[in-house]
Amino acid sequence: MKFYYFHLMPYPMEHDEASSWVTLSNRHYDPTVGRTLYHQYLDQLEYAEALGWDGICVNEHHQNCYGTMPSPNVMAAMLVRRTSRAKIAILGNGLPLRENPLRIAEEIAMLDVVSGGRIVSGFVRGIGAEYYSTAVNPTHSRERFYEAADLILRAWTEPGPFAFDGRFYRYPFVNPWPRPLQQPHPPVWCPSQGSSETVEWAAQRRFPYLMVFTPLKRIAQVYGEYREACERHGYTASPYQLTVNLPICVAENDRKAEAIARQHAMWVYHVGLRMLPPFWQPPGYTTESSLKRLLATRGKMPTELTYEDLEEGGYIISGSPATVRDKLRVFSDELRAGIVCSGMNGGSHEATLEMMQLFAEEVMPDFREDADVDETAGVGR
Amino acid sequence: MPDTTRITVRDTPVDLLRNGDGPPLLYLHGAGAGGRWLAFQERLAGRFSVLSPSHPGHGGSPPAEWIEHISDLAFHYLDLLDTLGLDRVHLVGASFGGWIAAEIATMASQRLTSLTLIDPVGIKVEGWIYPFLFGMELPQLVATVFHDPTAAMALAPPDMSIDTLALLYRQQTALARVAWNPYLYNPLLRRRLARITTPTLVCWGAHDRLAPLVCAEAWRKEIPGATLRIFDGSGHVPHLEEPDTVAAAVIEFCTARRESR
Repeated sequence: MKFYYFHLMPYPMEHDEASSWVTLSNRHYDPTVGRTLYHQYLDQLEYAEALGWDGICVNEHHQNCYGTMPSPNVMAAMLVRRTSRAKIAILGNGLPLRENPLRIAEEIAMLDVVSGGRIVSGFVRGIGAEYYSTAVNPTHSRERFYEAADLILRAWTEPGPFAFDGRFYRYPFVNPWPRPLQQPHPPVWCPSQGSSETVEWAAQRRFPYLMVFTPLKRIAQVYGEYREACERHGYTASPYQLTVNLPICVAENDRKAEAIARQHAMWVYHVGLRMLPPFWQPPGYTTESSLKRLLATRGKMPTELTYEDLEEGGYIISGSPATVRDKLRVFSDELRAGIVCSGMNGGSHEATLEMMQLFAEEVMPDFREDADVDETAGVGR
Repeated sequence: MPDTTRITVRDTPVDLLRNGDGPPLLYLHGAGAGGRWLAFQERLAGRFSVLSPSHPGHGGSPPAEWIEHISDLAFHYLDLLDTLGLDRVHLVGASFGGWIAAEIATMASQRLTSLTLIDPVGIKVEGWIYPFLFGMELPQLVATVFHDPTAAMALAPPDMSIDTLALLYRQQTALARVAWNPYLYNPLLRRRLARITTPTLVCWGAHDRLAPLVCAEAWRKEIPGATLRIFDGSGHVPHLEEPDTVAAAVIEFCTARRESR
């Protein structure tokens, strides 16, 4: 199993506002505090490489305290020259949110060339709130996503210049310099919530599917649909196409790990993901059939989830190294996920570094049967 | 009570409510009012043959994927007049429906006997940015649209079933397709309003918080010869908040137009 260290780069504040997204005033953001946080977070990502993590992850979110990386490519650029081995996974760029997505093709190619071919390029639509923050029409979201992905992939693979004439994006000359180092292009991942349209799209293109903050039962179901779709397209999914993003909290014993998780992992759900209902589902962002399925299952909102829900549902893992090893076996052996992306929050920078070290020394070595395998060979392109 | 019929306008299915006798009057509803026959329409039906279609994706009319721009809706209603064999109609539009009605009038004033716009959106007014209704929860939405919140009950959904919630989402989606950005206006429309040659009545709620009186003044100024009437007991939807008074004003205006011709 491969391990990627995932970061949201939150601004970990408490507040009583109805939403941590879009409307939470940025007067709450203290740039002096932000400076310290950014450096600590970047140090953590760099330390992950030193500890043996296979990859480090950044991602894009706008106008919130949940994750302060509106431009993930800027963060990736900072990491490229400070690391030398780990993959740098951008999970991902919000394709429909860009008015000029050719810039994504250019920026990723720059990063890929400078990093010596270590970039993993996630393609996402952005969550609902992002359509309020960027003013992009959410009814165009899915179509813009497919069109921008097509543009970027062609820009990376077809000799330029060529003309591109889409519904949303039009260019008389597509001819980006530089071209990416990895051939035919950097691996593309699809971080998603499991919509059947995206599963099909990713499976058809051998793009790894990443389930983010999802309960175990739902992951199993979507992985099943993905594997089935791969078979339908004439191949068997590699384990490295099935990826999961789950927070892990490890400490010297179960009790201590639970105490840390209760305090810090819960912040993500109870504060970080607190938002007004309209921000979750802007009009047209979801298909009517998906909306009806969501309404029928009546899942809890993130702010309604208790620690027990998260723990029993398999949204998060916490415990001693032995407990965490056992729980991870469910992901490696039963779900057969090839890559785990996990963020860790020990409560302070120092405590986080210690937690990372404990995980690297006491948990990771048990899952290294595939130490010599390159997880990006033949997948994601 | 009105008859409900399903007609097809150039391959696009439309649910149409109709009632009353007299000269034809096409009523274009605002967001959230599709498929509803309210007191205002009933009053108008006392003097006119009222045609009240639901916009595609609203009420019982299915969404139409080809509609990408507000002008698509304007052409859709010109096609509807052709389908029904109506040469000229009185045109009344409220809010979002008023926006569509104004677009129609800039294209084909000769098809209109009169034009009534009730708190329309659709143009950019200096010094005003429409509050973003898509980001509001219900209490804030009601407070923005209604001066008298009890009038909002007329538009309350019948239940909170999955089908009803899906309908509300479908209606919002149909609105967002043409109105998310630029939000609630067409940058090209304002200059074109000078093309309107139809006698025009502009009705406005004195307490409109979505499009306040500064917007009313802009519409009156841009449409040649337009008459502005202010309704003191109303917010954004005077035809729902003071249906009798507004209907009487519309009837008076339309009747005078008919007699002068």
